[in-house]
Amino acid sequence: MGSPVVEVRNVQKVYGKKGGNQFKALNDVTFSMQEGEFVGIMGPSGSGKTTLLNVISTLDQVTSGEIKIDNVDITDMGQDELSDFRSQKLGFIFQDFNLLENMTIAENIALPLYLQGTPAKNIDAKVVTVAKRLGIEELLQKYPAEISGGQKQRSAAARALVHEPTVILGDEPTGALDSKNATSLLETMKDLNDRQNVSIMMVTHDAYSASYCQRIIFIQDGKLHKEIHRSATRELFYKEILDVLAQLGTKNA
Amino acid sequence: MLLKLSLAGMKGKLKDYFVLLSGLVMTISVFYMFQTLSWNTEFIKSNAMIRNIQLVFIVGSVLLSVVTILYMLYTNSFLLSLRQKQFGMYMMLGAKKKSIKKIMFVETMVIGCASLVIGITVGIGLAFIVGYLLAGQLNITLEGYQSFYLPAVLATFIFFIVVFLCTALINHIKLSRVQVLQLIYSDVHPDDMPIQKKKNSWLILLGLISLSLGYVSLIFMEKLREIGLFAAPTFTTLGTYLLFIGYLPVIVNRMQANKRWTSKGVTSFTFAQLNFRIQGLTKILATVAMLIALGAGAISAGLAFKNSASQMAEMMGAYDVIIKNPNAEEKALLKNIHFTEENQYRFKEDPDYTYYLRDDLENQRPLLLVSDGRKPKFKRVTEDLPEGKISLSEVKNPEVGQQLSDEWDRALWNLRTNYRVFKQMIVLDSETYHEIQGQEKLMYIGKSDKFTDYLHEWQGIDKLALEKDPILTADDLTSKYSFYNMYSSFTSGTMFMGFFLGIAFLAMMASCLMFKILSGASKDTSRYQMLRKIGVRRSALSTSIYKELFIIFLFPAMVGLAHVLIGMNMFSFIILNPYYRIWVPIIIFLIIYCLYYVITVKLYKQIVLPKE
Ligand SMILES: Nc1ncnc2c1ncn2[C@@H]1O[C@H](COP(=O)(O)OP(=O)(O)OP(=O)(O)O)[C@@H](O)[C@H]1O
Ligand SMILES: [Mg+2]
Repeated sequence: MGSPVVEVRNVQKVYGKKGGNQFKALNDVTFSMQEGEFVGIMGPSGSGKTTLLNVISTLDQVTSGEIKIDNVDITDMGQDELSDFRSQKLGFIFQDFNLLENMTIAENIALPLYLQGTPAKNIDAKVVTVAKRLGIEELLQKYPAEISGGQKQRSAAARALVHEPTVILGDEPTGALDSKNATSLLETMKDLNDRQNVSIMMVTHDAYSASYCQRIIFIQDGKLHKEIHRSATRELFYKEILDVLAQLGTKNA
Repeated sequence: MLLKLSLAGMKGKLKDYFVLLSGLVMTISVFYMFQTLSWNTEFIKSNAMIRNIQLVFIVGSVLLSVVTILYMLYTNSFLLSLRQKQFGMYMMLGAKKKSIKKIMFVETMVIGCASLVIGITVGIGLAFIVGYLLAGQLNITLEGYQSFYLPAVLATFIFFIVVFLCTALINHIKLSRVQVLQLIYSDVHPDDMPIQKKKNSWLILLGLISLSLGYVSLIFMEKLREIGLFAAPTFTTLGTYLLFIGYLPVIVNRMQANKRWTSKGVTSFTFAQLNFRIQGLTKILATVAMLIALGAGAISAGLAFKNSASQMAEMMGAYDVIIKNPNAEEKALLKNIHFTEENQYRFKEDPDYTYYLRDDLENQRPLLLVSDGRKPKFKRVTEDLPEGKISLSEVKNPEVGQQLSDEWDRALWNLRTNYRVFKQMIVLDSETYHEIQGQEKLMYIGKSDKFTDYLHEWQGIDKLALEKDPILTADDLTSKYSFYNMYSSFTSGTMFMGFFLGIAFLAMMASCLMFKILSGASKDTSRYQMLRKIGVRRSALSTSIYKELFIIFLFPAMVGLAHVLIGMNMFSFIILNPYYRIWVPIIIFLIIYCLYYVITVKLYKQIVLPKE
């Protein structure tokens, strides 16, 4: 395994103003993720998963603690630096697709390349390559309103990949997909991870999706609860995840 | 219960409702302002120089109504879009369609009536302020102008009540037709996809033809008369709309297709966004172009009329002042004026004739005005005067008379001070002249460096002239100033109407464009948020917004100004040079428009790029 790409140290996130109605969504979270890892984050609803992903993806600021991505501390960067950082190092797959309806799929996918100032002549080739990998090359000239949910999600994944980011972050990327589309997206992500060594961090509710990961971090009430590694087949891992979830469930009850 | 729900729903969208209400208020107040003039026939008839002024107002009313109705349709569909999703939700939860429709109807009417009351109040206030300021600025008294004018109130009221009823009805029908699901997903479907633009050659061709027809009627307005007065606005408006609808999307599409521009950074998004929007903007932009044309046109016309008085005065004659026997008071006034030329001619008169001395005329040859119809030009008299000894009895004989050359005839003719007394003028050699009985007098003529700089002095001189000669009244004077004064009193009313309507139209233009852009803003918010998320700098998004709105603002301004430049031809039959200093109103307009562009961008940014 390589060096750590994401390092989260003693991160706290408090919502609400001081003196007002405060809520600690993340409480002293520490973990790291190695280059080329495929990490899942699970936990009950309201446990802080989205919050964690948001602070890692620089969309939200931590209250205290430190986050390093690719050995760069992102907690004390300015807004503009953060923007540039996001556009170069990170790839996002959001739950609600977040494609721009006013651009074709091809333009949507090419957006991160435009933002990085990639020369126009190289853009098309890159877009086509990544679209082929995700099986959407036929859709490139269509608009988001003309394609299905699964196709949208794969387009969003293509956009997240096209500029070869250091880490891909997904918040329930399969949440809005049926099982067939979900599987195809997960297979793609796994494939990327295996073959291109892309680091992926994904929040999910669903044990089946989670079973594609190598490691799963469970959080509860804003704290790390447990961490499990996949050691054998996916089916076994799946069962193991269900066990942990059941355990979490009974605790909650 | 439903009412409560609907109120709760409104609360969440206060910003949108504010945009909606201010748009409506603006329209209504501008409409009212126009009506105060339009219905006050006495005022416009007695103050206008244009014979067909009534017709101008009728055409104007029609245009304004069309624009208003179009605008109302926009505001209405905006109102509906604000509520659709909520209504769908209520219906899914079991609310009856009937009660939903009732709520929508009541809401439309409540908003309508509220904006009507506020709008008319604002309109009265605006009409008063604008009238007051203009009268002060232009130095005119407005007799018969009323900012609160009951017929105008009624007309505005009736027009808008009818419009609101119609829109309420439209909403009613729309709601009757739709399914619950359509309502729930209403904000996802309709314009989420840029329509594939086929080049609509027919529209473009028709647009070009009718625009040319419109321009031709504008240029030849004088010959076409009433036909021109109807044809010009009809064809110009039609052409503008057709071209905007048919051609604008094509232009924007071409811009987007140019990869060299659009593949750099966030520009790709800017043009995609523009291309996406333009389809829905064409009609409003055409409307804006028309309003710019009307507004800037009216102001330019007002200024042209203002300038025309001094131009007309310049065309009156070469000399600014002519005084018979200047007395001490008159001389004191003359001292204040910087003259480029001053001449004095001795003369004597008897009851029938005025006798000029040949040597005086010969030594101080006067200037003659030779006009080319537009600009005054001057020429010194070069022809010869009668030579040798002149027999008095011969020149006095009506059969023989004195044959003065053409130029001299005109030059002497100009040495009059009033219309009352006509005496034949005779030029004599000094010998004969001295034989004439009677007191020798002086005719003083002067040409100043700039006529309009000494209006006060000219006025004083005219007053003294009347005091010297009690049988004369102000109407008898032939002075340049009296002519200038008479002409300006004609033009001031027309000028006032021009400025007043210009301001009203520009205000309407501003509210139209701002409304359309801001009402779409909430829908754009998610797009900008997403771009922020994937790492576009705030400053880059801000630049993108500036660029996008710049292009949107650019097209109507260009077309509107083109209309103005062509349209000013229309006044050439009444104003010497309608294009005199045309850049003044155009620059004023551009400054206002730029300010207004910046404000719109700021407001738009506040909605789509909230502070972090
Ligand atoms: N902007 C906010 N202000 C205040 N509290 C917030 C805010 N966002 C989230 N929270 C709270 O923080 C906690 C964690 O929220 P978070 O969205 O991270 O949960 P989650 O694990 O993603 O849940 P889910 O699985 O339902 O998506 C929740 O209790 C939530 O109520
Ligand atoms: Mg979540």
